[in-house]
Amino acid sequence: MAEDLVLDRAIRDWVLIPLSVVMVLIGFLRYFVSKLMRSYQTPDRKVLKEGQVVLRARNLRVAAGFIPTKSFWSRRVYFTNEENGLLHVPKEQAQNPQAQMFSDPNMAMDMMKKNISMIVPQTLTFTWVNFFFSGFVAAKIPFPLTHRFRGMLQNGIDLSTVDVSYVSGRSWYFLNLFGLRGLFSLILGEENATDDAQRMMQMGGFGFDPTKSLSAEKDSLDIIQHEWILPKMEKRAEDVLKKLLK
Amino acid sequence: MVGAEEAARLDRLEIQVENGGGGAWEYLCLVRKLKPRRSDKVLKHGLAILNDPKARSNLGGEEWTLYEQVAFAAFDCQQHNVAKVFSLSLPLPLHMCDCVAVLSKEFPGSLRVGRLEGMLLEAENSWAEAEKVYARLLEDNPLDQIIYKRKVAIAKAQGDLKVAVDFLNKYLEIFMSDHDAWRELAEIYVSLQMYKQAAFCYEELLLSQPTVSLYHLAYAEANESQCIEYSGFIILLFLRFLLTAFIEQVLYTMGGLENLLTAKKYYASTITLSGGKNTRALYGICLCSAAISQLTKGRSKEEKESSDLPSLAAEALLRDYKYRAPKKLPLLNSMLKNMKLSS
Repeated sequence: MAEDLVLDRAIRDWVLIPLSVVMVLIGFLRYFVSKLMRSYQTPDRKVLKEGQVVLRARNLRVAAGFIPTKSFWSRRVYFTNEENGLLHVPKEQAQNPQAQMFSDPNMAMDMMKKNISMIVPQTLTFTWVNFFFSGFVAAKIPFPLTHRFRGMLQNGIDLSTVDVSYVSGRSWYFLNLFGLRGLFSLILGEENATDDAQRMMQMGGFGFDPTKSLSAEKDSLDIIQHEWILPKMEKRAEDVLKKLLK
Repeated sequence: MVGAEEAARLDRLEIQVENGGGGAWEYLCLVRKLKPRRSDKVLKHGLAILNDPKARSNLGGEEWTLYEQVAFAAFDCQQHNVAKVFSLSLPLPLHMCDCVAVLSKEFPGSLRVGRLEGMLLEAENSWAEAEKVYARLLEDNPLDQIIYKRKVAIAKAQGDLKVAVDFLNKYLEIFMSDHDAWRELAEIYVSLQMYKQAAFCYEELLLSQPTVSLYHLAYAEANESQCIEYSGFIILLFLRFLLTAFIEQVLYTMGGLENLLTAKKYYASTITLSGGKNTRALYGICLCSAAISQLTKGRSKEEKESSDLPSLAAEALLRDYKYRAPKKLPLLNSMLKNMKLSS
């Protein structure tokens, strides 16, 4: 089964390299188009304030030992108070963030734009690859794979006896799709719209969810036991001075 | 945060540029990044670049940033009409009004240029006009931090500290993790002698940046001043209500004592953070200990003053003065003796 197929050098010249070049060019195109189409999102006052509140509450939690106990308690009540505490979100307001997302026209437009700029080129390129670069062996993968990958990587090669390491153009396309991300971040700088994989991962978490972060901060603030570390400082100051005066 | 390396590089570049070596543009970029306030140098070298058409075209798109930077420097130096002319062949932006005019021609209706116009009016002391400009900008961009801060600056420059406090409070309601704003508010409160509120602001600063010794020191001083406030109260009340004053005196003294103890702890933490070099903190410790022992003279319960901290602090002070200001040593000696005697 494991005969060595000899692959023509012409495959490299006419399949692998052009495919990579085309993908890079499409990436550039998408980057510039996304720059043109990017809409300036005015920051929402409520969202901004909540972000700042979370920061402040986090500071309080982290550095609680540095302020006297009474101040800490008064601040904690200010944040977690049941009636008008900053971090307290009454049950009615805790809407489903998804519903909120779709009701806000701006956000929906934004999401659509992002999706379009991502999905359409991918689909087109995929179709193009399938049309031109299927039906023959394009490359050999250096490590062995199981038979399950046959369907994905060997489209068009209808011989079941060919080793799964020999793949068609489609697999080269996938390889490029994920691999060129690093290249793009080198060339185009950090923020580029070609981070497809990242986008796909982000599709799960729908945008900024203030409710959850506020209640998370509130819970962690509620748990804290305040321990004032300043009394130890007096001892430490003594040591420092003693060392200094030696 | 400015690293030591970059600060050294800035100084080096400054010397180089002053002595006629090249690198003015690099110097200006570094100044823009690190934000030290070297307005006269920026003005001089910035204008030199702007007035030289070849250097100006070399900058390309950065030219406008340079205009903005020179405008800021001119506001700071109050150069309503900048005098030096370096080349007479082209219509050159000499005044700061010209800088702003050039920018507003290029970017009409822009927020940044609007801010510059407001600042121009501020620099010329036309406060009402400046406020109008800022109000207009705020309508379009209700969440711009810098405009809020400019409004506070106008109020402060007019000497209207209560209004400034008001504005700052409103700003901090939205942007509550802006530690610069908290710091400004704390300083205003201290100048208004509202020490309790100042202490609150310093607490916020301590929470966000607990390792900055400056904030510990300032908090300690705010606490100590609070105690003095209380003592002032004591005298007043004692003169008016005799018996009730006695009880209240105890309470206030308790309040004062607590504040003093807190202050002492924070002076100690300042010493720890600054490695014992902070003279104000050393003084603070000596004063606090003396005041505490005075307050607890009659009572026998607080007998935990067994630490050597005051004496150590006094010794450190003496050594410091011996090194740096030996002429003032006798003053220090007499003051310390007084404190030791009375405690």
